[in-house]
Amino acid sequence: MSHAVEINKLSRHFGSFKAVDEISLTVSHGEIFGFLGANGAGKTTAIRMLCGLLLPTGGNGTVAGCDIMKEPEKIKTKIGYMSQKFSLYGELTGRENINFYGSVYGMNKREISSRIDELTEKLQLQDLLHRQSHSLPVGWRQRLALAVALLHQPKIIFLDEPTGGVDPIFRRKFWSTLYDLGEEGITIFVTTHYMDEAEYCGRISIMHQGKIVEMGKPFDLVARHKAENLEQMFIGLINERGSSGA
Amino acid sequence: MRQALFGLIRKEFIQVFRDRNMLRLIFLMPIIQLLLFGYVVNIDVKDIDLDVYDFDRSSESRELVQATSANNYFTPHDTVIALRNLEDNFQNSSSDMAIIIPHDFSEKLMRKESPTIALISDGSNANSTAIGTGYMAQIVQSFTKGYYWVEPPLKIRFDVLYNPEAESVYYMVPGIVATLLTMITVMLTSMAIVREREVGTLEQLLVTPIKGRVLLIGKLIPFAILGLLEIVIALTAGVLWFQVPFVGSPILLFALAGLYLITPLGIGLFFSNVTSTQQQAMFFAWFFSVFAILTSGFFTPISNMPMWMQYITYLNPMRYFMEIVRAIMMKGATLPDLTFQVGVLIFYGISIFSLSALRFSKRTA
Repeated sequence: MSHAVEINKLSRHFGSFKAVDEISLTVSHGEIFGFLGANGAGKTTAIRMLCGLLLPTGGNGTVAGCDIMKEPEKIKTKIGYMSQKFSLYGELTGRENINFYGSVYGMNKREISSRIDELTEKLQLQDLLHRQSHSLPVGWRQRLALAVALLHQPKIIFLDEPTGGVDPIFRRKFWSTLYDLGEEGITIFVTTHYMDEAEYCGRISIMHQGKIVEMGKPFDLVARHKAENLEQMFIGLINERGSSGA
Repeated sequence: MRQALFGLIRKEFIQVFRDRNMLRLIFLMPIIQLLLFGYVVNIDVKDIDLDVYDFDRSSESRELVQATSANNYFTPHDTVIALRNLEDNFQNSSSDMAIIIPHDFSEKLMRKESPTIALISDGSNANSTAIGTGYMAQIVQSFTKGYYWVEPPLKIRFDVLYNPEAESVYYMVPGIVATLLTMITVMLTSMAIVREREVGTLEQLLVTPIKGRVLLIGKLIPFAILGLLEIVIALTAGVLWFQVPFVGSPILLFALAGLYLITPLGIGLFFSNVTSTQQQAMFFAWFFSVFAILTSGFFTPISNMPMWMQYITYLNPMRYFMEIVRAIMMKGATLPDLTFQVGVLIFYGISIFSLSALRFSKRTA
């Protein structure tokens, strides 16, 4: 497997609606890849296909070396996923949530507790392990969700707007954690609406109406479109294209 | 996948036991229902208020009145008011029945001439009227025996089996057992699954390699256990507090409860498939419970329903379980006596559960 993610003309149609329309991209190991696009552009559908939650209606590709069409269940063992919405159990403490997901991934007690020790050090979990997670501040919850996504030592993690509703200080810390993970060789596939976060990515793609309309290093894209910054480039690109389809 | 299954079950129990309202629902509901049905829904007829209009005032007429007060079926009130006021006492509910003894009662009795007495009752309470009239017929029959040398040609001997005092609580407790098991499992199952969908935890679970059937079984086992726990609470309270007799085998009852459970679990699963919020799921579960209770023969015998309605009751799985619980607890029925009900429950269990499970795995895949 030469790339962490490699897809070719991947499509998902719902009836006559083309939610994702022949997108192709490759992501290298250890790369932080920003998957950008306006709301409704098809990002969520694309991520669901990459995570093995939804079968594509056309195209092909591999995630962590597994075929998207034929081995969606195998993909699930190799990836971590964290969604924009906090989706852990509020009644359970941090540790109980981690224990539960560990058991779901088939880990035994000893494996889980040694993994908790590692993640506690890396993500500063010590204060949230013994509190019921509905009582945690948003930033802490996201840290817990990231710990769950990393629990089974996946090679790739998919983060769907991981920093929504979180303060700037926490966002900065969160991104420095992601950099550390990248250093360790973990591939990060992230969506965001914050353009400063997009600048932290190694490469980004911009999706519009089911297609990838632009892809490259953030500053190359800014230069190519003769924009002042990424935000201006993004808005300019979407406005320019918006009239054609809508 | 054993870890995943145990993990799911443990998680589900932690969630239930950390939720105070859920705990109240699970542990107080059986007790409160038992007390309500045991005391409020009392269909025994006792202490019927009986106005006595005795125009004979003989020792014979007094003896008859005396006989009515035996066994506490009637509370006779000797009245001095005029006969035309009889209805007033019905209207202000101070009496349920009236007996009129004519002035020639003892005279005719002596001459062996068959005197007539009148029994007038308040039909607005149909149940107590029917039962009270029956009691009175028995009392009068045994009273006349003392005055006629010849036994009447046709005699009825009344024998009530299994529940000779016709205690309604004996009849209610088995009904509550069936009702609780149905309501708790349908409600908790449908809501617990829909909640995961609502909160987003189901999505998080689906990106894990957990197998669909492990997820399904792990979600259902906790509620099956809670349902059986409900039965234990209701039965213990019923036997200890109301002293309801338990004639048959408790083990058979639990085994068949386990068999029956598959159906309400399947129905709860079905509701979770067709709804997207806990509120909707709750409403579906509530509507189903009302249908199931009313057509189960809990309050009114199925044989009293119109024929087309009797056919509809065959669709209600709880109806068969109700028969099973009553037969085991009150009559000491054994498995061979219940072949038909068990057969129907196996059929419903397999068909309803597999349809719902199929739909569940389609929707989650």
